[in-house]
Amino acid sequence: MSDKDTTHFGYKEVDTGAKAGLVADVFHSVASRYDLMNDLMSAGIHRVWKRFTIELSGVRSGNAVLDIAGGTGDLAARFADIVGPTGRVVLADINDSMLKVGRDKLLDNGRLGNLEFVQADAQYLPFPDDSFDCVTIAFGLRNVTDKDLALRSMLRVLKPGGRLLVLEFSKPDNPLLSKAYDTYSFRVLPVMGRVVANDADSYQYLAESIRMHPDQETLKDMMEDAGFTRCEYHNMTGGVVALHKGTKAQ
Amino acid sequence: MATVIDPALHTAVFAALERVINRALELAPANRQELDSLADCVFALHCTAPEVEVYLQPGNGRLRLMGYYDGVVTTSVRGTASDFAELATAADPTAALINGRLELNGDSAPLIELQKIISTLDIDWEAPLVEVLGDVAGHQLAQFLRGAYSWGRQASSGLGRQLEEFIHEEARLCPPRLELEDFYRDVQQLGLRVDRLQSRAQRLRKRLRQLRE
Repeated sequence: MSDKDTTHFGYKEVDTGAKAGLVADVFHSVASRYDLMNDLMSAGIHRVWKRFTIELSGVRSGNAVLDIAGGTGDLAARFADIVGPTGRVVLADINDSMLKVGRDKLLDNGRLGNLEFVQADAQYLPFPDDSFDCVTIAFGLRNVTDKDLALRSMLRVLKPGGRLLVLEFSKPDNPLLSKAYDTYSFRVLPVMGRVVANDADSYQYLAESIRMHPDQETLKDMMEDAGFTRCEYHNMTGGVVALHKGTKAQ
Repeated sequence: MATVIDPALHTAVFAALERVINRALELAPANRQELDSLADCVFALHCTAPEVEVYLQPGNGRLRLMGYYDGVVTTSVRGTASDFAELATAADPTAALINGRLELNGDSAPLIELQKIISTLDIDWEAPLVEVLGDVAGHQLAQFLRGAYSWGRQASSGLGRQLEEFIHEEARLCPPRLELEDFYRDVQQLGLRVDRLQSRAQRLRKRLRQLRE
């Protein structure tokens, strides 16, 4: 068996085929407290990061939007308001627990009509070619087993001229901030996870998976290799999070 | 090199501002309806001092504030913060746009409409007070506040008028506006005459030089 058959799950090396199941277990475990933990861990700043993603998406009335790894539907809810009744928003997630939480939340808030919910793997998106004006994936790409395959799949479903936005944790550009961020991730986060969600391991995985995720420049290169053009990224909160944008050539 | 502001920072500021504006609009239903007539218009405001860029998009009775927008803009305005403040508070926005130092691109009519809606924002403070205090106490307090606000507005405008009269007529500390405008017009005309004289003198000097050669 070659080395290609293993991949990372946080700092651990696991069989490629096993990663999806392990990631699924993490999200089954945190789904019910996902929103609360996000607010606590980021002090609410994740809402600002997502708002900037929406601004940069350039989504307009009547557009078709695919939100991959949409989780509890923060982006999908806002997109549904923007695209209006003539538009279409698909909230996709590989994890059924997350999808159920997201679907219930959106329906309970009266959002329906232009919203669809699909359980889908980002690597093999079950949509025809050239279907969406915009594809977003927020805090999901680092959990995907084969990121290149997923990026190519996203390119395929985008319409020519469509935009992909990848919002993901990244590498802080300031060494001092980087040190403080490490301390926070490995000392505070697991404790917070244990106290609030009764699950320290999942939040330990979160910190590890962020460190294993490609940095800003590497991800930009990966997007270009997948076939995206006009690739760029914006660092937010000192590079703790980066928003990558790429366009499908006309 | 220009300092790059962290997008998270200005996005957070715009989010807070948008929340306040939309809360105020919720309490001003007439203005909200008027705002809907501008749906799909996008206004770009480029402030040069301090350097800030904001895009305003009305729709669904709300106003959306964005730091980035890559689509077609209806009206684009460039100027300093004080120029924008002048426009926002102007009684006659058309005159403020023509005479002011703002640089305008695109359709000015929707911008004037937006300015009118903002400057005539009629907020019904009674609704949130009644929600918290109940019908009777809320209405009483709202009536008292309305009276106090109306008295304050009348008093401040009366005081302003009297102060202006005292400065111009009694103490003669400053000339009246019309006199001052007249003076500026004379100065402008004098400046134009001087420019013409200067160019005439240059032409004569040039001709003298040609004759000598």
